[in-house]
Amino acid sequence: MADKVRYLSPAWRDEVEKRFKQELTPEKMKNLTTSVAFIYTNCPDGKTRCLYFRSVDGIITEVASDEDLSREAEFVITADYDLFARVTQGTLSSQRALMSGKLKLKGNMVKALKLASLSDRMNKIMFRIPTEY
Amino acid sequence: MHAAAVNDPYFVDCPGRVKKIQELMARENIDVYLGSRLRTLSFVTDAFCPWRSFVVIPPEGLPTAFTFVIDAARIADESWLDEDHVLGYAPIGGMDQITQIAEFITDRLDIRKGRLGIEDGMSNYLPEGNLTHFEYESFRAALPGFELVNAHPIVDAVSLIKDQGTINRFREASRIVDQGHKAVLEAISNGGWQGMTETEIAGIAALAMRKAGSVWEWSFTGGNEIASGYRTGFAGGACTPATTHGLKRGEPLMVDIHAMFKLTLGDHAHNYLIAEATDRQMWHARNFTDIVSRTLEAYRAGVSPVSIAERMMEFAEDRGFAEYMVPGFEHGIGMMGDEWRIGMNDGPLPYWTNPDHAYQENEIVICALQYACPQEGIGFRYENPTLILKDSCEPMSKYPLGVEVVE
Repeated sequence: MADKVRYLSPAWRDEVEKRFKQELTPEKMKNLTTSVAFIYTNCPDGKTRCLYFRSVDGIITEVASDEDLSREAEFVITADYDLFARVTQGTLSSQRALMSGKLKLKGNMVKALKLASLSDRMNKIMFRIPTEY
Repeated sequence: MHAAAVNDPYFVDCPGRVKKIQELMARENIDVYLGSRLRTLSFVTDAFCPWRSFVVIPPEGLPTAFTFVIDAARIADESWLDEDHVLGYAPIGGMDQITQIAEFITDRLDIRKGRLGIEDGMSNYLPEGNLTHFEYESFRAALPGFELVNAHPIVDAVSLIKDQGTINRFREASRIVDQGHKAVLEAISNGGWQGMTETEIAGIAALAMRKAGSVWEWSFTGGNEIASGYRTGFAGGACTPATTHGLKRGEPLMVDIHAMFKLTLGDHAHNYLIAEATDRQMWHARNFTDIVSRTLEAYRAGVSPVSIAERMMEFAEDRGFAEYMVPGFEHGIGMMGDEWRIGMNDGPLPYWTNPDHAYQENEIVICALQYACPQEGIGFRYENPTLILKDSCEPMSKYPLGVEVVE
């Protein structure tokens, strides 16, 4: 894939889903059943968007990137678009973003800790997608 | 309820405790209770919460505890509450204790306004856990629809009279302490005391008690309090964290040791004289054991701290040793975090024991006496968890009362 896709666009979402399904086996996903909603505030067009993942028994069953903020998720992570973009590009670590309070997490913290390595794994996959931010 | 649980002599009905709290919340028009005191955490979760913790009790249903994330999974493992009711807070956006608890109340419990019961006050006990000024202001800002109301009397009232499981736990904690005393006596007898320090004795007792099932020498006064020589007789004193002070011939030794069993607290002090004891030392020892015996005979439902103090100080005056008595004869005790104040906060001095508190059946106090003669470098201490009965009391440590002379 040579051409860049726009961050959070339908084409980018398709690429994320394709790569997740290729690279994240149920074992790598720890056979987890969970859901995470990333809420992007202050997107370049001024809107708020949601990047949503759901897995069942470690199989990615849903990847969405749209303006639907009503989905129920086990974990909700909220931040500005620019901050998420920096995390995806690898210029800001997710740890620093969380610990500085710029990124807001909602959900069971103990369960979230179990997902920390998985989150990093997913982020590395998204980082490799040629993306226009 | 599971039959095995009910047949467990140490079973406590935690859901029942919560229901009683919720009944009093309803009576006091409290919409949500935010507990922060260590005693409340112990009483409600039935788990040891050493980090700053909170428990949110809704008007009905299960409570949810919040603790530092590094300890949340352990507490969920040891508590009757599951992992969805023991949540961790952390220095992460949205996960700090104020944000998380405030959002839990408004979003999860769906209570957006009303009266929020908090725990405020003061204590001479360091880890009491009242809400700090910063926490109070932060919760007030995060929960603008709520009036924050001091509500700790609710938990104090529900936890005052001990249930059978708690009483049995105290008995076991005291049995464990007695094992510690046996180990100390064995170690110091027949010249074993020579070259020993207070810290070593503290460790000998700790090992024996841990082997017997204690999980912690729980006291914040340095764990096991051991004093020897002049340190037994600090003027008006009753706090002796062990030091490297060595035992010496002809000196007193005070062994005040602590065990914790299922959050209940063993606390018994026993005293020795390292041979040779002088006649004067033996006079002090007899004074001490006699007043302890009289105090234990006095405890029963209906008596009060001041009535006991008046009678005992009169006895001490008659015998000529009143000047050596610290004029208090007990302190309060409950599950971990519940120490010092007896009964409710209803005395003339806020947050101190009401001297006219009338003891009730199945209250537990630590019968505590301190005899101190600093000018002669001698003192003795007695402490024993004591169950108040209708016409008498049950000293829970069964270790024989006495001041023993060890060779």
